[in-house]
Amino acid sequence: MKMRTATLCLSLVALLPRLAAAATQASSAAPPACSFEQLSRAAEQARSQNHDEEAIALYQRALQLQPEWDEGLWNLSSLLYEKERYAEARDRLRLFVADQPKAGMGWALLGLCDFQTREYARALDHLRQGMTLGTGGSKGMARSVFYYAAVLLTRFEMYDQSQRLLFEMVQSGQAESFLVEPVGLAALRMPLLPEEIPSDRREMVRLAGQAALAVNDQHQDDAERLFRQITAAFPLEPGVHFLFGAFLASERPEEGIREMQRELEISPFHVPARVRLAEEYVKEGQVDQALGLAAQAVKLDPQDASAHLAWGEALVAKGDLPAALRELEAARDQAPEILKIRWALFRAYTAVGRNEDAGKEKDAIGKLAQPGSAP
Amino acid sequence: MIAAMRVTFFVLVFVLAAALPRLCPAAQKDFDEIARDADAARTADRMQDAIHLYRQGVGLRPSWQDGWWWLGSLYYEQDRFPEAQAALARFVAMAPKPGPAYAFLGLSEYETHDYALALEHFRKWALEGSPGTNELIDVASFHWALLLTREGRFLQALFLLTAKAHRRGGSAALTDAMGLASLRMAYLPEDYPPQWREMVWLAGKATFYASLNPQQFDRAQDYEDKLLLHYDQAPNVHYFRGTQFAFQRKPAAAKEEYRQELRIFPQHAPAMMELARFALQEGQLDEAVSLARRAADLEPKNPVAHHVLGQALLAAGRVPESAGELETASQLAPDSASIRFHLATVYRKLGRTQDAEHEMAVFVALKDKEKAGILLPPEELEKLVDEQPGRAK
Repeated sequence: MKMRTATLCLSLVALLPRLAAAATQASSAAPPACSFEQLSRAAEQARSQNHDEEAIALYQRALQLQPEWDEGLWNLSSLLYEKERYAEARDRLRLFVADQPKAGMGWALLGLCDFQTREYARALDHLRQGMTLGTGGSKGMARSVFYYAAVLLTRFEMYDQSQRLLFEMVQSGQAESFLVEPVGLAALRMPLLPEEIPSDRREMVRLAGQAALAVNDQHQDDAERLFRQITAAFPLEPGVHFLFGAFLASERPEEGIREMQRELEISPFHVPARVRLAEEYVKEGQVDQALGLAAQAVKLDPQDASAHLAWGEALVAKGDLPAALRELEAARDQAPEILKIRWALFRAYTAVGRNEDAGKEKDAIGKLAQPGSAP
Repeated sequence: MIAAMRVTFFVLVFVLAAALPRLCPAAQKDFDEIARDADAARTADRMQDAIHLYRQGVGLRPSWQDGWWWLGSLYYEQDRFPEAQAALARFVAMAPKPGPAYAFLGLSEYETHDYALALEHFRKWALEGSPGTNELIDVASFHWALLLTREGRFLQALFLLTAKAHRRGGSAALTDAMGLASLRMAYLPEDYPPQWREMVWLAGKATFYASLNPQQFDRAQDYEDKLLLHYDQAPNVHYFRGTQFAFQRKPAAAKEEYRQELRIFPQHAPAMMELARFALQEGQLDEAVSLARRAADLEPKNPVAHHVLGQALLAAGRVPESAGELETASQLAPDSASIRFHLATVYRKLGRTQDAEHEMAVFVALKDKEKAGILLPPEELEKLVDEQPGRAK
């Protein structure tokens, strides 16, 4: 998953014409011996000839003379990253992004270094910054950034965001075999990196990943076979019955409900199981049961948008629209990017005649539905 | 987390700078111009220019306190921690009351892996009353707790982390930190072996829910059960569970867990200390002395072991021996108010009135600091159980 330096360097020079011009200017001057110009030119030459260690030493010497030389900082960082000298690369990149805060590639590579030095919170921040600013059309870099951001989102217990990102990667042509474990971890809601999976449950994670990918590819028979395999092999593990239940809910709701209930026996504080059960009960007209579960879900995790949404929808089904609006608005405040919440609010505002608010929701839905608007 | 401190840092910087005396009258025109330009660049958000100018300014006038402060703050802002550390160290060395600068210096030193210095500066910051915004208190005390864990001072770390949980609620970072301290793993979150991650997370979650106000023991128990499902034989897991029961004031269950830890790991000194404490409470003094003595032999640098042994010996009427153990405990943990109190009691019994008065005076001073909100985390588990650390400040 690592980027080659040459790709990075080319991309950056293309991105930053000012730097390229400066390099040209430097090379056309007639420098005295061991001047900055001479060192920078020699460093560039060593790099282009793949004499990496020599290039690193030369860049370091040149940067001693001119510490804020952006092109040198970038090239040196890229070389250090490639040599797996991540902490050194990170320190140089910090200088680089301080001077070039709009360089998405800089943030992205800094995030990758942070990941390697296990500064995970910073890594996620910097990778997101890189995603926002863009990685200059480098597909390899974009894949790395998405991948590491996704696995970190799982580690930070942001499973749904992680899954969205991972399925986006699948859609964009990323090999599924590469994503099996990250998808499995997010699906089972295990806040681990792939390398942190306990050996006795790696098989479980892989099966869950394959099953979730099969669902995503609409291979329902394969998915069901895999889910049955997991529940048989790991019947007491948290998350397993929830996953199967969520799958069955759309196929055979009664069985789905049974699996969810089994999950709650194993994991009595499982919020998503409560939410999905509440949704199923609303569909089946068992509104009071739905209300109880959704209210418990909100109490367990007041920050969970899906719990507020489920409670809001149950309240709509009960006919308590003012209370429903409060919950749906809370859901929107937690996750304004979720279309399902916006639609629920649109319908609820329309039902109570708040047409202006409904119109705002419709506008938001229009914007969110545009390609590339997903977070 | 440090990123979240940025805004606060600048607010603080303004406050602190306003409070600083302007020590540098117009001595050199060049310097004045540079200082003015540096301030202008900073307020115009031209950070690189500002850094350049402040560097020039402190080069011309090394006694320029404001210059070092701003330079340190700007470097810190840009995650340039070695440079921030150097500039803040200069500021701290010359400022009469560095206040929050101690915390920022400690944070920079954490990042440059100068952990001993970071610990020293966090402690100095605490002794000044932990000055700064709530965000600074959260970030600095959190990093201090991480370092205390790394030093093996797990209960002190948990005291600070529990306070943070009360103030701010949960986060992934807090879970990690609580898990490491609870399982007595002397590592930083960025250093521990990846195969421990699940165990750390489960313990961290359990500790978090048990430390909330009001405590959610049923939810904590759910994570403990999952921890035991896979890590029943791992070091410290039963000790941790014993501690959780101690929090719930279930002594029988706690003792059983400590005993189970000792069955798996017969040299587990912390389990011995807690069992010794229970024996002491129940008046089983021989057992208390025996367990505490074994613990102190196994961990001679652990103040808690000597403290419990000193208390047990005192209760058994072996007062001179008790004095020796409590003196050792006090040397190892000079900020512990309860050790000072017990030492004063022992000295009084020995007729060493002057020593007793001295220890009592130190005890009162430490208590006054606590009352003034000075955040010096205690060494003893019972403090963590009895107090509400989140309300200390």
